[in-house]
Amino acid sequence: MAKLRVKITKGEEVRYISHLDYAGAIERAIRRANLPAAYSAGFNPHMKLSFASALGLGVTSEGEYMDVEFTAAVDPVMARNKLNDSLPPGIFVKQSGYVDDRSPALMAVVNLAEYRILAPLAAGTEFCDVQASLRRFHSADEVNYIRESPKKKREIDLKQFLVQDIAAAAAGEAVRLSMAIKITPTGSVKAGEVLAALVAQFDLPVVQDSALIHRVGLYIANETVRSLPLP
Amino acid sequence: MITLDPAILSRVAKPGRYTGNEWNSIIKDPSQVGITVALALPDVYEVGMSNLGLKILYQIINNRPDAAAERVYAPWVDMEAEMRRYHIPLFTLESKRPVQHCDIIGFSLQYELSYSNVLNMLDLSGIPLLAADREDKFPLVIGGGPCAFNPEPVAAFFDCFVIGEGEEVMEEVIETAADWKKAGKAGGRTALLKQLAGLKGIYVPSLYSVSYAADGTAAKAAVNCPEAKPVIAKRVIRDLNQVEFATRPVVPYLDIVHDRIMLELFRGCTRGCRFCQAGVIYRPVRERRPEILLQLAQELVDSTGYNEMSLTSLSSADYSCLHQLVQALIERFKEQGVSVSLPSLRIDSFSVQLAQEVQQVRKSGLTFAPEAGTQRLRDVINKGVTEENLMTAVGAAFGAGWSAVKLYFMIGLPTETDEDIEGIAALAYRVLDLYKTVKGRRGAKVTVSVSSFVPKPHTPFQWFGQNSPAELERKQQLLKSRLRDRNISFNWHDTRTSLLEGVFARGDRSLSQVILAAWQHGAKFDGWSEHFKSDVWLEAFRSAGLDPYFYAGRERKPDEIFPWEHITCGVDKTYLQEEYQRALAGAATGDCRRDDCRGCGVCPGLGVEVLDWGEQANG
Repeated sequence: MAKLRVKITKGEEVRYISHLDYAGAIERAIRRANLPAAYSAGFNPHMKLSFASALGLGVTSEGEYMDVEFTAAVDPVMARNKLNDSLPPGIFVKQSGYVDDRSPALMAVVNLAEYRILAPLAAGTEFCDVQASLRRFHSADEVNYIRESPKKKREIDLKQFLVQDIAAAAAGEAVRLSMAIKITPTGSVKAGEVLAALVAQFDLPVVQDSALIHRVGLYIANETVRSLPLP
Repeated sequence: MITLDPAILSRVAKPGRYTGNEWNSIIKDPSQVGITVALALPDVYEVGMSNLGLKILYQIINNRPDAAAERVYAPWVDMEAEMRRYHIPLFTLESKRPVQHCDIIGFSLQYELSYSNVLNMLDLSGIPLLAADREDKFPLVIGGGPCAFNPEPVAAFFDCFVIGEGEEVMEEVIETAADWKKAGKAGGRTALLKQLAGLKGIYVPSLYSVSYAADGTAAKAAVNCPEAKPVIAKRVIRDLNQVEFATRPVVPYLDIVHDRIMLELFRGCTRGCRFCQAGVIYRPVRERRPEILLQLAQELVDSTGYNEMSLTSLSSADYSCLHQLVQALIERFKEQGVSVSLPSLRIDSFSVQLAQEVQQVRKSGLTFAPEAGTQRLRDVINKGVTEENLMTAVGAAFGAGWSAVKLYFMIGLPTETDEDIEGIAALAYRVLDLYKTVKGRRGAKVTVSVSSFVPKPHTPFQWFGQNSPAELERKQQLLKSRLRDRNISFNWHDTRTSLLEGVFARGDRSLSQVILAAWQHGAKFDGWSEHFKSDVWLEAFRSAGLDPYFYAGRERKPDEIFPWEHITCGVDKTYLQEEYQRALAGAATGDCRRDDCRGCGVCPGLGVEVLDWGEQANG
């Protein structure tokens, strides 16, 4: 067994597919690339793939990570090239390298996600309105967001997941927000949820539906350093 | 090129239906090809993408340097609302161009209840709904698929229809249209249509005048120009080994209805079930050679990356070289985690060994289709299986570790009595009991799935008066009252949609106005129970002064002229009438491949023979 870790993208072309479908597309590409993927035993064998963190429908990324188990260690550069020839547009392997078989799962080590949101300003508003809204957000002790799933409603304090203040920059008729969100063993929040709370509770003057959310990267972070899961 | 606002995509369900960019999709520059074809299926993406015929045509057309084939499906209602609100025309998934800018739009007509979606898609494209209103600049609107064997109810909306298998004729249509376009559209649309009418298997409805008898029947279609043929015979591929197959199908991101490799073993079926339209219109049986299938399978695995392969046909267990093929496929693809499945297994030819073999990689449930609850009725429909066949197969399956079986039945069949309905329940209970006998304990799960029989044209039952919705509901309730065991689950179909399906299956040209009126009043996605508007349809019939019963519920006289009489699949009407009489008498008709030929007329009429490789190998 050999565990290949890859850094991959989710581009504009595949923005609107779900995490499960994204994983499925990669699995098919691995099979097309004829790489020696390992399968689980049992009635429904599945390819042994694991991701650092699920990326929602509508979100692009330039730094996702995935581990795939092979039955034999093939050259990682060759594996990357073969995969890139077999991946659909928008999914691209930027880096690849083997990690120790027993190294902890990506999901257990990646604990920080950085996002960039580009959202058009609402009609008749200006960048200073954005700043005012963010100031109020930052001075609040907690910001409760209600996450609704078909089964239940859950109240989450968004602020405990934000590691620093949200940065804003004017970008023509739009605004660019940057934020870093903690991923903890008990859960995390989505950048889209933070945006929704900003709009609903702090009157952030942007067109929420038109916002483009992009994940800049995933990191292993402690108080002082941020490192990447793949050197 | 149409760019969709992210705001729209973020508001609709499953936006991946509209964004394209799938693996194996072919994006050509429309300005660099002579002819662009939008291949359409009038249902949602997940259904449309599962159609094998369109996958084949997509590959064949895109193999031509002078043509581009693109895909288009019906936008779901949420997306349609956004498109109408923001004036976004229907667009193709490849180049994201308005469908209106294509030269041809070809609709695959798989199901009568998708007709309202055809109108909706034309309207969203900005193409006049009526063929008569289309100027030269609009695309040529073509229909194909099984429903084209009686295209009369939708004749007003189509410029022409492809009758039968499309591999060869679509290329001829493209060449004809390309020449016409190159010649500056000389003679206008009428000239093109007349040229197309000269091709074998092409039906141009505007070149026929239909007359009706005083009683509303006898819709005789007479040619009104020399280019049109009095009778249009279906196109048929003589040897499937010689034509292109869909070896590089578009691999979707979304979970579609048939999200797996489809390996078509053969076309046609020689069993002769009397309710089955496919069994008649796809005659004769033409098998692909096992070595070619293995090669196609390899290409499919390599080009798609799917982990599942389905061996498709009308009755896959009848493939003459099935056993060797299945073993070879499993052996070859086991390492790559690819499983093999057989979606339709007949009870009599079912072998548990085979089922176990195909489930080496992935295990699934078992489905059997006795179709009717008593032997008498199974003889009427010529299903050719006995209760003993079913019990042997199910017993062996239980012994091999299966515990869940699904049983498919139809209600509303000719000569059916309440005893036959009760027979369905009795059969389900016997299957439950059999589990106890085999395993010594209870624990089987039986699913009884019941659909309502709709008589189809070109079948022995085309004379039969369909059961009314009320009668079908009574039968459903009767069956429901007999199935009182928590280990039996019961599924049934909406009877009102079956009525509509029955009307359009055997309807005539006057129904075009009903479809138009219903669509104008909001009918769409009629096959989706949450969108079916029964009252809108009934009102559309009323306002047109037409009675649905006349088309669906009326028993036809043996000599009645049918609206589809000028379209032939090669099977003689006299043979079908004989089969109907044999059905009413409960007489079975054997498999023409293994028993005597009963002279349906296909082989000599079309000049095509049954191709059975197992038989050829055995001398």
